[in-house]
Amino acid sequence: MEYFKRTLNTDCENILGRFQATASVRFEVFSAIWREINFSSIFYGPMEPNKCRVFTRLVLSVAAPYLLPPYAFQIRVGGLYLLYGLYSSQLTTPKEKVRLALKDWDELMRFQQDAVDAQHYDVVFILRKLLHERAFHFTAMPNPVKRRQVERQGQQLCETFIDRPSRAQELISTDMLEELANVHEHYENLKRVISAQTDQPILSLVKQNLVPKLRGAVLTYYNWQRNQTVTFFPPQSSRRAQLLALIKSKSYGQAVEHCASLIFKNKFNV
Amino acid sequence: MAEGGGVSTVSENVPSYEHIDVNSTPFHIGTFRNLWLGMLHPETYSYSQTSPETEDLRFISDMGIAPETLAELKSVCSTDSLRSHPEHEPPDTEAVPPEPQLATLKLRKRRQDYKKSLIRDSMGRHDVYANEMELLAIGRRPEDSKDLIPEGELILSFNVVYPVLFERFKHVRAYQTLHVLGSQKLTELRDAICCVSDLQVFGEFSNTPDTAPQFLSKDHYKSAFFFFEGTFFNDLRFSECRDISKTTREWAKTHDFPDFKTARMEDTTFYDLKVKVGYPYLYCHQGDCEHVIILTDVRLMHRDDCLDRKFYPLLTHKHRVATRKCCVCHLYISRWITTNDALAPVDPCLYCDQCFRMFHYDDHGNKLGDFKAYVYIDPGAFN
Repeated sequence: MEYFKRTLNTDCENILGRFQATASVRFEVFSAIWREINFSSIFYGPMEPNKCRVFTRLVLSVAAPYLLPPYAFQIRVGGLYLLYGLYSSQLTTPKEKVRLALKDWDELMRFQQDAVDAQHYDVVFILRKLLHERAFHFTAMPNPVKRRQVERQGQQLCETFIDRPSRAQELISTDMLEELANVHEHYENLKRVISAQTDQPILSLVKQNLVPKLRGAVLTYYNWQRNQTVTFFPPQSSRRAQLLALIKSKSYGQAVEHCASLIFKNKFNV
Repeated sequence: MAEGGGVSTVSENVPSYEHIDVNSTPFHIGTFRNLWLGMLHPETYSYSQTSPETEDLRFISDMGIAPETLAELKSVCSTDSLRSHPEHEPPDTEAVPPEPQLATLKLRKRRQDYKKSLIRDSMGRHDVYANEMELLAIGRRPEDSKDLIPEGELILSFNVVYPVLFERFKHVRAYQTLHVLGSQKLTELRDAICCVSDLQVFGEFSNTPDTAPQFLSKDHYKSAFFFFEGTFFNDLRFSECRDISKTTREWAKTHDFPDFKTARMEDTTFYDLKVKVGYPYLYCHQGDCEHVIILTDVRLMHRDDCLDRKFYPLLTHKHRVATRKCCVCHLYISRWITTNDALAPVDPCLYCDQCFRMFHYDDHGNKLGDFKAYVYIDPGAFN
């Protein structure tokens, strides 16, 4: 059965990739893709009853990791829909269950809370429906583990699906900060000119020290993220991403100091 | 955080991989169960179903949405939206559809076409048996409500590997899979493990073949132990049981090993164990018949599982071996082995019970000729 693993991975990545391309988390978008590929047909074909059950178990175990980190929220939503589709279209009776490990339960609940907060009702509805239908086995490990003589290759993570931890730092780059500082200064000056004309101090509408505040927020977020990463992820999982984030934050720290001095200078010039 | 000081002891019992896909970190099974039960709403593992109306009302109140929104959600998220075929024309699920898009289906089609090219196109007997064995237990409810397993019980799956006694076992890792309940005692697992060495009969019985069944090994040598995480669990239920792990422990003491603990198998339930999932442990009986046992899975009871306590430990997989047949009839499995037998074509020679008696004894049960007869237990006796 293990020989189906690679093709199953390809299929899952294919459907999730198409779902990602739509930049949506709606179920109707997903179900349209599902119908188009006719994903339910993955269970079709002649197979002995017990092999069929083993195959179904394998399909669910390949799809289950997409529901969990380090994948981005949208992919996790897609993973949930995928599991829902696979669970409900399987041909075995009684239905094979999705395995859920104890360590992943917290992540799933956090995911549900995120969906509630963002009012993605279809996500919450489907997750609750699966729980209500007892579609999960609550287990110790994600997969049953047995000693094998055959060397098994670890499942490759699909890079484009992974939630990039350095996204905030990427957005607030050095150039962008400088640009922002200049625009902000320009804006303040304009405001000053206007308020000088109308005699009313409306400068209070402008956020003071916008750039340092922004920098502080990003740094706090980065530190929080780093603590999270240390506690929740095995160190090797996203080493490259962490390294990138670290490099970025270093260069970023210098840039911000630079910007701060720029503002300081500007203040004196005024 | 609210749980504050308890974090370290809690996370210790949340199993994670020690080696990826190989084995987990050690954890206490009872605490692990309590962690799951503490996190889940009792309804999520209950056997009974809450009515859909209650569930709907709860969803409406939890999300703060209008009933119309829920109705819309239901229609959008229904499984009908995943169907690619018209409602009244179910597709043929027994065949891979022509020109499949999915990579898996392409592979399945290739295998299907290959299978069709084979001369023999029947289901393997082993697959039929395996399926029957699984179906026996699935969804079984007890007749007597006393035997119903309480909700939130744990199921542990053990793979018991046969010892390498035979040449042909060297390349195949033959094993049987047993499901036990967390509240069961280790001795219940020990009694459920079937191994031919328990059935061996020592001695020569050519003069009195009828008395042979009184000398089964398992009635004479009752000692056995499990070895889990540095502890020997000895079976000391009967007065004639001895602590057979003593030799090992004493040897270990003289060779600078850490100290091993001992406990009694009959006083220990699986909830009391602290083990690693996927890690090889040992079951030893009959003095030196050693089975590697691996805990492959621990999970909460599901309502589709066998809920009858009487069926546990439940056998779900068994490796089947070819049996040796009687040299006379070539039909029945051998029960006797003879040596120094003038009547036999080979030495030693195997017979089934009936052929052995017809061939070697007269109508009054008197021994004919000079030979030695021993009881033969076929490794396939449990098939």
